Amino acid sequence: MLVLGRRTGESLLIGDDIEIELLAVSAQGAKIGIRAPRETVILRKELKITQLQNESAARGPAVSELERALAKLQG
Amino acid sequence: MSCVQTKYFGLLEYREDAVFEFPGGLPAFENEQRFVLIESPRYGPLVFLQSLETSSLCFLALPIQVLDRNYRLAMGSEDLKTLGLDSKRQPELGNEVVVLGLVSVQEDEPATANLMAPLVMNLKNRRALQAIREDSLYSHQHPIEQRGMEGGAC
Repeated sequence: MLVLGRRTGESLLIGDDIEIELLAVSAQGAKIGIRAPRETVILRKELKITQLQNESAARGPAVSELERALAKLQG
Repeated sequence: MSCVQTKYFGLLEYREDAVFEFPGGLPAFENEQRFVLIESPRYGPLVFLQSLETSSLCFLALPIQVLDRNYRLAMGSEDLKTLGLDSKRQPELGNEVVVLGLVSVQEDEPATANLMAPLVMNLKNRRALQAIREDSLYSHQHPIEQRGMEGGAC
């Protein structure tokens, strides 16, 4: 991972059209501003992880597999 | 009484006041906004969250205390407001809210539960959401300890 030090008010650029600015830093965390083309998807990583995890959970055992899957769960 | 075709239990009757409303759905399932909780002594403490929109969508879940008896909620004030809860404090588990961890059971992999983004369901107004934590205290793939499944401390 590339690690860059930035002070409040300083920015960095990703490619030609994405700008990330460090707006404020506090004990609670950092406030980050992002300028990017409208079509760029920007998600908190936890949300993406939750989406993927929900999709995995929704695939659940098939009806015929439920008993076997639960036997595995219940040991 | 209304009826729903469920994924695992055939046709089930439910009362409207048993429905949980997820105003924003769940991440990746934003259109799924109405669910009923199915409990069966046969499978306890496991519970089933059946979608009322899609018969084939039924999540498996465990009460959060069964997964980690010391679990501490850390809901943001926006999430608390969405559920109509006091936004200055965390709700009481079991009393004000039911909190569940969604379970993933995949072929050839150990079963896990998502403790990073628990489902929080307000028992008073039946509103619910998936509360994604902003800290990193809990895993989204928490291994389910089989010992913890015994007894069914709901």
